[in-house]
Amino acid sequence: MSDKTVRRRRAVLLLLVVLSLILLTAYFGEASSGRLHSVQRAFLTVVSPIQDGANKALKPVRDLFGWFGETADAKSQRDQLRKQVDALRRQLAALQAEQRTDKQVGGLTQLDSSLSILDYHPVTATVVGKSPNLWYETVDIDKGEAAGVRLNDPVINGEGLIGKVSEVASDGAEVSLITDSAVGVSARIGSSSSTGIIQPKVGDPSDLLLQYLPASAQPNVGEEVVTSGTVDPPDDSLYPPGLPIGQVTKVGEESAYKTVDVQPYANLHNLDVVQVLTSVQGGLPERLSHLVSTFVPGQNAVTGTGPQLASTGVG
Amino acid sequence: MMNGRSGLLTLRISLLAVVAVFVQIGVISEVPVFGVNVDISPLLVAFVGLLCGSTLGAVSGFAVGLLVDLSLGQTLGVTSLIFTLIGYWSGRLREMRDPQAALTPLLVGAAAAAVALIGYSLVEFMLGVDAPVSLDLLRQIVLGVVVDAIAAVPMWLIVRRALRGGLPEDPRRRRRRAYTTGGLSPLSRS
Repeated sequence: MSDKTVRRRRAVLLLLVVLSLILLTAYFGEASSGRLHSVQRAFLTVVSPIQDGANKALKPVRDLFGWFGETADAKSQRDQLRKQVDALRRQLAALQAEQRTDKQVGGLTQLDSSLSILDYHPVTATVVGKSPNLWYETVDIDKGEAAGVRLNDPVINGEGLIGKVSEVASDGAEVSLITDSAVGVSARIGSSSSTGIIQPKVGDPSDLLLQYLPASAQPNVGEEVVTSGTVDPPDDSLYPPGLPIGQVTKVGEESAYKTVDVQPYANLHNLDVVQVLTSVQGGLPERLSHLVSTFVPGQNAVTGTGPQLASTGVG
Repeated sequence: MMNGRSGLLTLRISLLAVVAVFVQIGVISEVPVFGVNVDISPLLVAFVGLLCGSTLGAVSGFAVGLLVDLSLGQTLGVTSLIFTLIGYWSGRLREMRDPQAALTPLLVGAAAAAVALIGYSLVEFMLGVDAPVSLDLLRQIVLGVVVDAIAAVPMWLIVRRALRGGLPEDPRRRRRRAYTTGGLSPLSRS
C-alpha cells in the first residue's frame, strides 16, 4: 500500500478522533443552554415526529418480539407476583391501620389533598424511543415545551416514579430514568423520617440502591420506598413527597451509612404511557405556605415562612 | 472527487445507518433479551468497516455515533469516538487479513460489542460518573457481548446484502483474481 494512502488513512482517523474529543469536551463542559445542547434540542425537535411515526409503524413488530419474551417470562413473573400479592396484602393491612391514624391528624394538615397528583398538572405522553446503552437509561417522549414540559420535571407512570426530564425540545423530551447513572432521588422508607439517596445499581438495571441512610435507620425487607420531597435548602428535592419508588429487597451491612437494595415498582423496560408533573417546582411550597397561614391566624405566610418555602422544590 | 460508485455506496451506508438507528431506538431497545438490550449500531459500523475498509469504516463510525448521540440526547462525542475506532479497526482487519471464515461476522460482532460496552464504561468513569460498580456490571457487559454476537449473524447478512454491488473492491472478486493470477494480491500491488 502506498505511503500516500497510509498517510491519508491515518489522517482521517486522527481527524475523527480529535473531532470526537473536541465534541465530548465542549459538550461536557458547557451549560445545558450551550450551543451543542441547542443543536441537540433542535435535532430532537426535527426527529421527534419521525420517531413518533416510526414508533407507531413499528409497534406491531415490537409487540411480536415482546410477546415471545413475555411468554418465556410469564411463569416466573406469576410466581413473583403471587409473592408480591402476599406482601402487598400485609402492606395493605399495615397501611389501613396507618391511614386511620393519619385521618385523625389529616383534618389539621390536609396534606393528603395537597399531594394529589392532579394538582401537579400532569401531562400524559407516549414513549417513542429508548436508549440501548447501559450508561444512558433514557427514553424519549412525544411531549415537549409546547405541552408545558420543562427541564427536571418529575415523570411517573401508574406504578410510581420513573425519572425526570433531562432534555426538552418543543415537541418532544428526553427522560432520564431513575436507573440512569446521572439521576439521584431523595427518598425515605415508609413513614420513617430518615432520608437517603436513590441511585442506580450499575450493572443491574432492574435494581436501585438507597444510600446514605443514617446508621440509626431500621429498614426492613418489603417496606415501601417513597420520595421524601425534602424542603430544606440547599438539599431541596425535585420530586413531590410520597411518590412510590419501589420496595426494599435487601438491607446492606452495617457501616457509617446504611444502604438498602430497592426494586422499582415501575417496569422500566416496558414503558408506553407516562405522565410528566409539570408544576412541581414552586407548587408544593406555595401550598405549604398557604397551609401555614391557615394554621396560624393573622400570620402572613408570604412574608414569613413563605419565601423560604417558596424557594424549595427546585434543585 | 467522489465518483458514481462511491457516491452510491455512501448513499446506501447513510440510509442503512438512519434506518438502523431508528429501528434500534424504536424497536430493539424496547425488547430486552436475557435482561440486556441488543445494540446493532456497533455491529453496523464494524460490518461497514469489514466490507468497505478502514477509512469508510471510521467515517461511518463517526457519523453513526453522532446520530446516536443526537437522537438519544447523550453526551456528544462519546459514541462517535468509540464507533470511529470500531469502524477503523474492523476495516484494518479486512485490509490486513481479509478474513473469509464463516465465524468472522460473529467474532467481529462480539469484538465490536465488547469494545463498545467497555469503551462506554471507561469514558463514563473518566467523565466522573459517580456510580457504584460491582460484578453485575461485568455480567451485563458479558451478556451484552453474547447477545450482540448472536445478533451479528443476521446483521452481517443485512449489511452485506444492502451494500452488495456498491463495494469498492469485493473481497471475493479480489480473491478469485488473485487465484487466477497466481496469488498476486491487489494489496501487494498497491
